[in-house]
Amino acid sequence: MTLLYVLAMSVAIFWSDIKELFTGNHEAQQIAIVNETTADLSAIFVSNNDMVFIQDETNLEKLEQKVKDGELDAIVEVSDQNGQLHAEIATFKPLKLNDQSTISSLLQYAGQHYAVQKLSLSSEQAAQIMAAQTIISNKNLNEESAGGKSEEEKQSGLWVSYAVGILIYFFISTFLSMITTEIASEKGSRAMEMLLVSVKPATHFKAKIAGVLLLAMTQMAIIAAVFLLYAKFAKDGVVWDMAASIVKELSLGYVLYAILFLLLTIILYLIVGALFGSLVSKVEEAGQVLMPAMMITLIGFYVMLSGIGNPDTIFIKVFSYIPFTSGMVMPMRIGATDIGIIEPLLSLGILVGTIIVAYLFSLSFYKRSVLTYSTGGVIQKFKTVLKVTT
Amino acid sequence: MTLQLQHVTKKYKDFTAVDNLNFTIEKGEIFGLIGQNGAGKTTTFRMILDLQETTAGTISWNGKPVNSINRDVLGYLPEERGIFPTMKVEEQLYFFGELRGMKKAELKKDIDFWISRFDLEEKRKDKAETLSKGNQQKVQLIASFIHKPQFLILDEPFSGLDPVNKDLLKDAILLLKEQGTTILFSSHQMDNVEELCDHLCLLKRGVSLFSGSLLDLKKQYGKTKLSVRTDYSTTELLQLEGVKDVRVEKEQTVLMLEDEHYAESIFQKLSAGKYIEKFSLDYLTLDEIFKDKVGGSVVEV
Repeated sequence: MTLLYVLAMSVAIFWSDIKELFTGNHEAQQIAIVNETTADLSAIFVSNNDMVFIQDETNLEKLEQKVKDGELDAIVEVSDQNGQLHAEIATFKPLKLNDQSTISSLLQYAGQHYAVQKLSLSSEQAAQIMAAQTIISNKNLNEESAGGKSEEEKQSGLWVSYAVGILIYFFISTFLSMITTEIASEKGSRAMEMLLVSVKPATHFKAKIAGVLLLAMTQMAIIAAVFLLYAKFAKDGVVWDMAASIVKELSLGYVLYAILFLLLTIILYLIVGALFGSLVSKVEEAGQVLMPAMMITLIGFYVMLSGIGNPDTIFIKVFSYIPFTSGMVMPMRIGATDIGIIEPLLSLGILVGTIIVAYLFSLSFYKRSVLTYSTGGVIQKFKTVLKVTT
Repeated sequence: MTLQLQHVTKKYKDFTAVDNLNFTIEKGEIFGLIGQNGAGKTTTFRMILDLQETTAGTISWNGKPVNSINRDVLGYLPEERGIFPTMKVEEQLYFFGELRGMKKAELKKDIDFWISRFDLEEKRKDKAETLSKGNQQKVQLIASFIHKPQFLILDEPFSGLDPVNKDLLKDAILLLKEQGTTILFSSHQMDNVEELCDHLCLLKRGVSLFSGSLLDLKKQYGKTKLSVRTDYSTTELLQLEGVKDVRVEKEQTVLMLEDEHYAESIFQKLSAGKYIEKFSLDYLTLDEIFKDKVGGSVVEV
């Protein structure tokens, strides 16, 4: 499993190299530019690995023949229409989406450039217009609280929260099903009775949770180590710089909260997973009892996803307090919205409280359910356990 | 070193699984618990093992309540066969031994001994799931006592074993007894119970019908089973004094007597002073007593 994660990460980091492997005979697109205007646009169409621009061609017929023969991929004919730049892209085979959008954006830029040139401004003036950008700064009038987050901070907070949310979701579903099937298989193979004669059910319960939690932490540590290694040394630390710039936008508090929420949520789900595993009679039924818990993680995941559009909805706020989903939703609120100190602590408190209650309940229930074999759905199983052990 | 059950009762919402059960097992004794399906045997075992709580009554080991003793003195072979399917035979035995706090080095000698004794040498490195049912059972049996418990519970240890393996198991049980292990076991094969048990307890729907030594149980019925080979017809035999019932079997006729003292007069009548091929007065077998006590022809336990 860990290997799989590491593999996925390697693929992500070396994606461009791997892509080249698959599309090894990738040739640059040959594109001819026919400029019928007086403006000089050659500075805009610069050749690179993907595209080679052939400037200042004039013989359109000859070029069209070349396109048909496959020597050229496209002709871009640029002309003036009522003071606006007009471009026609002629192809024999349609261009790939990527190339199409590259050419479009270059042409957009060329259009602006052309308009500026027509106004016969000085080069400084032109440069100023082209580089025009509104500078926005925030001023906080509330002297009691620290300033709100800038948009950039919120943006990076949003994306990091998204990544953290996905991570939490993956870890939860992996370890939830791990502990449930683990216990279910011991129960199903009837090795459980042999075990429970040696160790008390409560010890078995605690040992399972501790075991899977340690496994989860080991796995996370390995993944983090591999990531850091890659980030630092692969591709001259590009990834490292990228990650560093994102983390810089976030506070240390956010990182701590994210880790706390991740660990606590995993613990909560492990307790629930162990309890559900103890209800199952055969390992084949594990999926059935896992369903409700999986649904809840899915709900949390989708609520978190909805937050990417707008993290300030009441919907997000409600789910950031529900213990089973807060782990995924609250880090997003912390990262991407202006939130006080109380809210995350309150949510964390609810989560810890739920863990304690779930733990105590499961501990006493586990002893009764782990040797009771029953059929039916989860609720039916609960009922059977209560019936035959009281 | 004794196990004592006093007034042990287990009640569920709508039925009583075990009702006021009393018995004592002395050190080094083999004790049999006999009863049909649902008689409460497994529930009793689970209560002794503290896997289930008693509703009333006490279970004590050496005078201490069982839920306060160190579990390592107990060994248990559950009725449902269960070992880890993907673990190798040897690893499995080490695992269960280590679970009881034993060291690998201590275990090695015993594991080697039992593996060779149970003819599992070739399967040593095999995964448990690849073994035959009988072999799996042998592995599980070794796992149940590899930590040398003082008290061993075997729930239906003979079911599913062929005659050769049954003998291996019987020898093993007797060897454990020699080493001082106290053993409590249940079986529906009465011949095994008869051969091994010193004392037994007959359970019917949670109620103990008899608890004591096997001989005492047999004496309760007396020597009332008379096997003969004779020319007398069933009707003639039934008319003899003291004959309750007559059953014709392949090689013999079995008469059930009201009391053993009628045997003498029957002998005189049947032989009439001449040679008689077969005349044998015996205690009832445990099987027959069981059927009589439990009151049904169904002896599937």
